[in-house]
Amino acid sequence: MDRDVRSVVRAFIATRLAPSAGRDEIADDEDLIDTGVVNSLGIFQLVAFLEQRFQIAIGDEEITPENFGTIDGIERLVASRIAARAA
Amino acid sequence: MAYLLQQLLDVSADRHPDKPAVRARERSLTYAELHARSSQLAHLLRAQGVARGDRVGLFFPKAVESVVAMLGVLKAGAVYVPLDPHAPTRRLGAIAENCGISALVTTAERLRTLEPRALRCAVLVSGEPRAAHEIAWSALDAFPTSAPPDGGVETDLAYILYTSGSTGQPKGVMLTHRNALTFVDWCAATFAITADDRLSNHAPLHFDLSVFDIYNALGAGATVSLVHEELTVFPRRVADFIEQHGITVWYSVPSALVYLLLHADLAARDLDRLRLVLFAGEVFPMKYLQQLADLLPRAELYNLYGPTETNVCTYHHVDRWRLAGQDRLPIGRACANTEVLVLDADGRRVAPGEVGELYVRGPSVTPGYWGDAEKTRRALVPNPFQPHLDERLYRTGDLVTLDEHGELVFLGRRDNQVKSRGYRIELGDIEAALYAHPAVVEAAVVATRDEDLGSRLRAFVALKPGEDVTPASLQAHCAGLVPRYMVPETINVRDSLPKTSTGKTDRARLTAEGEV
Repeated sequence: MDRDVRSVVRAFIATRLAPSAGRDEIADDEDLIDTGVVNSLGIFQLVAFLEQRFQIAIGDEEITPENFGTIDGIERLVASRIAARAA
Repeated sequence: MAYLLQQLLDVSADRHPDKPAVRARERSLTYAELHARSSQLAHLLRAQGVARGDRVGLFFPKAVESVVAMLGVLKAGAVYVPLDPHAPTRRLGAIAENCGISALVTTAERLRTLEPRALRCAVLVSGEPRAAHEIAWSALDAFPTSAPPDGGVETDLAYILYTSGSTGQPKGVMLTHRNALTFVDWCAATFAITADDRLSNHAPLHFDLSVFDIYNALGAGATVSLVHEELTVFPRRVADFIEQHGITVWYSVPSALVYLLLHADLAARDLDRLRLVLFAGEVFPMKYLQQLADLLPRAELYNLYGPTETNVCTYHHVDRWRLAGQDRLPIGRACANTEVLVLDADGRRVAPGEVGELYVRGPSVTPGYWGDAEKTRRALVPNPFQPHLDERLYRTGDLVTLDEHGELVFLGRRDNQVKSRGYRIELGDIEAALYAHPAVVEAAVVATRDEDLGSRLRAFVALKPGEDVTPASLQAHCAGLVPRYMVPETINVRDSLPKTSTGKTDRARLTAEGEV
């Protein structure tokens, strides 16, 4: 499961967000905010995508630099929301 | 009365030396410190050979040094050019080339990505110098803390702001000290900004909205808190910032306020200190404006209007009691010392209720575009009502009408310029970027309406036979040529683009397809 989430998140960022920021390779621990890969527009495209793709709900209070600053952080958030859904 | 922008700081530094002038990223500078630091930078720039009227690029993320740099350049008698820290290198290179940037205030890291040809010196706000023309920030310490004498006059250029140009080249709007002060003086009188106010600066520094935040704060002896770039990604953090900094005056594009409204739980916050909320740059969706007005019962709301070329030229005070019955928010009436005219295609005034193009005259209007006499001639036309004076009107390209209350209402554009999150975008600029790709034979970009953002960009391209290029790689190609906000959100690749009966690309049809 974990590997699936990671590869889906990576693919979305690589095809939908990174190109318009002029980037190709994004490391899993790279800062997505400083590099401009996730900006004020991209963040809500990303949230909408994650909610739909994984059938989870992401609250506004979860839209933080800790959760969305890196691919690692996004994966942790999605995994915890999936776990919450299953519980 | 100040006739140069830096004189606003002189007065406030004298009256409020120990008050915080600017805050950013957990740091702050008092008026005395800002005055001393910017004077030192002015001396340093002059010692490096920066002369009156030279262009100095400011190229680093927002920090207290941003304001030091703006004032330091002005005190040196030079002209500052704020560069978008997230714009592609090639575009920044074109800007540096266009206006001949000879000095930069930047970071060591960013300097490696942009080394203008005419560069004489680079002052580094962070990082270690590697060459003789690179100077560490600590070198400022050696210079006098009192300003060099002002030799300039109010018609000297103060800064140049680059905006999207229709042919793929950004155009540099030149603004004089008088242009900016006309606006700042009007604001001070209209909004009664005082030393007790705390202003935010949400807009990027290369965006004209920031002129309001910085210079109104300095003029009143108030504090300006810069909302740094990474913070703007997270609406809740921005709302925390407003509370923590006790912001009393907020100015931004409507979409930033809409994001706060939708995602920052404003109802649960203490925003009573916010007395003035101003917005400009695009049309505020009425349903959200009503919600915002309800959430901020104590704040006065204003819609400001004006292309970068005029700073702000009209304003409308939002009337809470009229909101429910309004389907469009007026852009209002002319600011003081500004006249607006609504003219038809033959240059005659149109009657109230009829549609015409908006023209602007007065001391807030730009003298033109840097190094582009042709564009300047087209945008600044002789005033037909002043045949004996060589006076120019700025032609906005915006179609407006005068409503029954004597207020102007914006109806649309006469050309292919669109707005997204307040940014001015020439669709031709993006099409030029797409055509620069070797596989592209036809390209059209349309803007579809979006409630939250103003508009979304959709591109349609036809490729050379046999070429196989993905939308993502075309987006990456565009990102190398135009800023992020101009990269189309979707790129639709097809064999050919639909044509009208006259053989032109059928934009109406593509727009309709894009809306789906």
